[in-house]
Amino acid sequence: MLKLRAILILSIYAVLVTLASVWMAKQSYAWFPPEASAESKLLDDLFSLFTGLGTFIYLGVIGPFLYSLVFHRAAKYDLSDGPPIEGNKWLEIIWTAVPLVLVLTLSFVSYRTYDKMAVRGPMELVHLHLPNVVPAAYAEPFDSTPQQEIQQALETAPVEQIDVLAKQWAWVFHYPEADVTSTELHLPVDRRVKFSLRSQDVLHGFYIPAFRLKQDVVPNHAIDLELTPIKTGTYRLRDSMFSGTYFAANQADVVVQPYADYQQWLTTAATQAPTPAYNQAAYEYSRTGDRRTGNTKPKVAVRGWDTIPPAPPPMVNYAPKHEVNSPPA
Amino acid sequence: MTVERVIAQDIEASVREHQEHDAAGNSKFGFIVFLLSESVIFLSFFTGYIIYKTTTPDWYPLGVTGLETREPLINTMVLISSSFVIYVAERYLHDRKLWGFRLFLLATMIMGSYFLWGQAVEWRGLPFTHQSGLFGGTFYLLTGFHGLHVLTGVLLQLIMLVRSLIPGNYDNGYFGVEATSLFWHFVDVIWIVLYTLIYVWQ
Amino acid sequence: MTNLSLDPPISIVRGQPQPGAPDNWRRFFTFSTDHKVIGVQYIVTAFVFFLIGGILSMIMRGELITPEADLVDRTVYNALFTMHGSIMLFMWTFPVLVGLGNYLVPLMIGARDMAFPRLNAVSFWMIPVVGILMLASFLVPGGPSQSGWWAYPPVSLQNPTGNLINGQVLWILAVAISGVSSILGAVNFVTTIFRMRAPGMTWFRTPAFVWAVLAAQLIQLYGLPALTGGAVMLLLDLTLGTSFFAPERGGNPILYQHFFWFYSHPAVYVMVLPVFGIYSEILPVHARKPLFGYRVIAASSLLITVISAFVWVHHMFASATPGWMRMFFMVTTMLVAVPSGIKVFGWVATIWGGKIRFTTPMLFALGGISNWVFAGITGIFLGSVPIDIHVNNTYFVVGHFHYVLYGAIVMGIYAGIYHWFPKMTGRMYYEGLGKLHFALTYIGTALTFLPMHPAGLMGMPRRVASYDLEFAYWNVIASIGGFLLGLSTLPFLLNMVSSWIRGERVGNNPWRAYGLEWLTASPPSVENYEETPIVISGPYGYGGNKPLVEHAPNPDLTDFPESFTPQEQAS
Repeated sequence: MLKLRAILILSIYAVLVTLASVWMAKQSYAWFPPEASAESKLLDDLFSLFTGLGTFIYLGVIGPFLYSLVFHRAAKYDLSDGPPIEGNKWLEIIWTAVPLVLVLTLSFVSYRTYDKMAVRGPMELVHLHLPNVVPAAYAEPFDSTPQQEIQQALETAPVEQIDVLAKQWAWVFHYPEADVTSTELHLPVDRRVKFSLRSQDVLHGFYIPAFRLKQDVVPNHAIDLELTPIKTGTYRLRDSMFSGTYFAANQADVVVQPYADYQQWLTTAATQAPTPAYNQAAYEYSRTGDRRTGNTKPKVAVRGWDTIPPAPPPMVNYAPKHEVNSPPA
Repeated sequence: MTVERVIAQDIEASVREHQEHDAAGNSKFGFIVFLLSESVIFLSFFTGYIIYKTTTPDWYPLGVTGLETREPLINTMVLISSSFVIYVAERYLHDRKLWGFRLFLLATMIMGSYFLWGQAVEWRGLPFTHQSGLFGGTFYLLTGFHGLHVLTGVLLQLIMLVRSLIPGNYDNGYFGVEATSLFWHFVDVIWIVLYTLIYVWQ
Repeated sequence: MTNLSLDPPISIVRGQPQPGAPDNWRRFFTFSTDHKVIGVQYIVTAFVFFLIGGILSMIMRGELITPEADLVDRTVYNALFTMHGSIMLFMWTFPVLVGLGNYLVPLMIGARDMAFPRLNAVSFWMIPVVGILMLASFLVPGGPSQSGWWAYPPVSLQNPTGNLINGQVLWILAVAISGVSSILGAVNFVTTIFRMRAPGMTWFRTPAFVWAVLAAQLIQLYGLPALTGGAVMLLLDLTLGTSFFAPERGGNPILYQHFFWFYSHPAVYVMVLPVFGIYSEILPVHARKPLFGYRVIAASSLLITVISAFVWVHHMFASATPGWMRMFFMVTTMLVAVPSGIKVFGWVATIWGGKIRFTTPMLFALGGISNWVFAGITGIFLGSVPIDIHVNNTYFVVGHFHYVLYGAIVMGIYAGIYHWFPKMTGRMYYEGLGKLHFALTYIGTALTFLPMHPAGLMGMPRRVASYDLEFAYWNVIASIGGFLLGLSTLPFLLNMVSSWIRGERVGNNPWRAYGLEWLTASPPSVENYEETPIVISGPYGYGGNKPLVEHAPNPDLTDFPESFTPQEQAS
């Protein structure tokens, strides 16, 4: 009778936990910025799977844990010990084997997602590609759409090539075909884009949260990164690898626009003569003046130490309009 | 009660014996653990050297084609033979023949110093500095760091030599000498790997 | 050294005479070789630096309460997070756990002291030197290191002042000294645990805490030298102009990351393993049940030691690592979940059906475990390459590792301090203040570090002094939580100081706990045991009637009847 009740309670709890996990997995999509690239959809699906399983494990552990804390308390003057149970071989084997299988499965699913993203990344030559292990025909239904989008983008048009130069503390984008430079990243929607990332000084991180992609930029190396924007709009590019004093200000806008607009922008920009762009780091640095003479009026409460001077503002064909009164963060 | 008590005291005595008077055993165990840990520093330097050497396009600086191997080889021979010499010294100490111990320990020190001197001569004659690219940096790092260990070894031997002049110092065990000797063998083994990496693999 | 000879002969003084006795506090300021004095020295020194590191973090949270960089200059902010990380790791978490290990390991294995008492003292006295170097770097021109606690080149090689003595050089020296101290400490621990266990204490009669300390110290032995190697090369680049990691001179900055993480990821296990050990000791005592699956829990510590040597690249998934490396290290990283899971399941099974008492140490241990479960799950997220590519270097990571470090490790340390406080002082802490401390800490942890996860998922990079408006909501909550955490240390301080001075005196074994450390006096005498205990059964005999040691030594010093015949007690 008691056993039956335990089984019943456990089953009900399992169902509840499953429902909660599914709910969390669905919720997880709302925790991200908009899905602006095909790769972001792949990532969000994977993250949702992890969230669901993670919730299941968390509640699966915490439930019995809390139950025990509530119902297995010692009475006030009860000085006796609990039952001398030292272990259970089968239980221990199960809770070693199940996590093992689980994490191997998660690794495998992650690998497949990574493979579908095909972001290339560094050292393309040794890019792990195991066509035998993952036959092309085998594709799970839950993430087939983004992959089709990537395929479509690849087949319909040539890959857009864009050179990215990171420095302390600015991003400069160069479009080799139109020979245009800009401090704002413009991308055509639904086209595969290939970045060639280079750094002039230190490590930087090329990170666009709306695309869910990130790649460190290493001096002396040109690193390739491919992605497929699928949603028009303005997003943020952030430096993700700490790069020194004005690291936090090293950001740029990313504008994803229809191909026609993108072409229009390129041709207009090509006619502009290069001018120095607004640069947050250079602007702040110029305001601090020479610290040693003390004739400074920093807008912060606590003054700082010497810093590496920022590179001069980049000379570009196109720079976004900037109002001095409200500098971007 | 009394029988139990006697047995207990007996066990107690042997336990204390084991725990406290086996200090030399503890020290030896600890020293070997330390040397194993120390070897990881060299291991990381060696790994760095291999990675640099296999990935750098222009390994040698301009005007350098390789390293002279003849004098370093003589140096290597001297260092490796000194390992046997210090072993002989240890045997003498084991047999309580202090003069033999002192003589052979001194010989080890001379051989170690010769190695250091040879190293210094080689450094002075080299056409590149520690700033000459990755090759220069790793070369001076590896040989320099190893040289520091040789110097430490020679100083340890000096201390052991001086302590042998104190009457009765080694009557109750000679862990210091054993450790010095172990350290010396360690320095030797490291050098063999280092020599292979830098001089043989060119 | 000279202080030693001034001490009276060992046989007539107690390790820590009763508090209030004249002179007794002075021994904590001497070059004592007693592992118990050194243990307390470690713990107290580390806690002072915990407070300093905490103040730094509260200034940071003050800066981050608004999106603009308006409270402190950006250079100051960068210095703050660098020193916060460095102090919290090298001056608080490592030393405090070494301190607890120092105090407890010899007691738990029935030894009279560590294997090398003088080396032990030398290791300790390096810690204040490290701390002084770190703090002194605030006073040199150019300020302290501003390259993060990773000190990644090339940023760490940029030297704005051009001086030879700069914050970065001092930082490297401090880390190197701390490394030497840790290696010497590790040699000491490993030798002690291998060779000085009491007769009868076979490996599977050794407490789980000792296993965990052994596993952690083995990591120090194989990992720290690699970091030292990297630090030496970085120092040479910075001062002598070599080119190991300097890209403009042909060097390879990525190699530094390998050196750094080869140690610094396993270092997380150096910190978390002893805390797992603390949980494994505390749960059986306060749930009155043997540790469930003790052998597996003990052995899984060593499994973590081994696996953790092959996971470091997961910190570098975005750092120009080739695809095969990403995949290989993803699998190894996820494998760590298996031994960690074994422990968690074992703990849950331990309290299941027990007789749980919510004492302060138990509350902290339970709270720490619940946080660890959460942190472990987000850790698996981070191990997955595609997810990591999005959240790497964002606040998601910051939230994750603070859940590990504060949620699990600091809570575990508090649990350990409360649990063994009666053993160290012979007095009981105040339960009410302890519970208040727990409540503030637990709420503060959730309030501070939980909001960091959504901020990171939205794309807020870590180490920023200013941020976009969209992240403000989460940051305000985190800042409020941060100040609450600062506040939470006050009841703890008050509790420790006042209980040590005037707390209620308790017997040698107030918890009625199994374990050799509870068989001796509180506080233990200099030599720990008058007779070496001879162990005849496993470490967690709750509910059974098995005595732990043969012909119970020092019957006058133990509360034996209570803890060994529970059935009679109950009836």
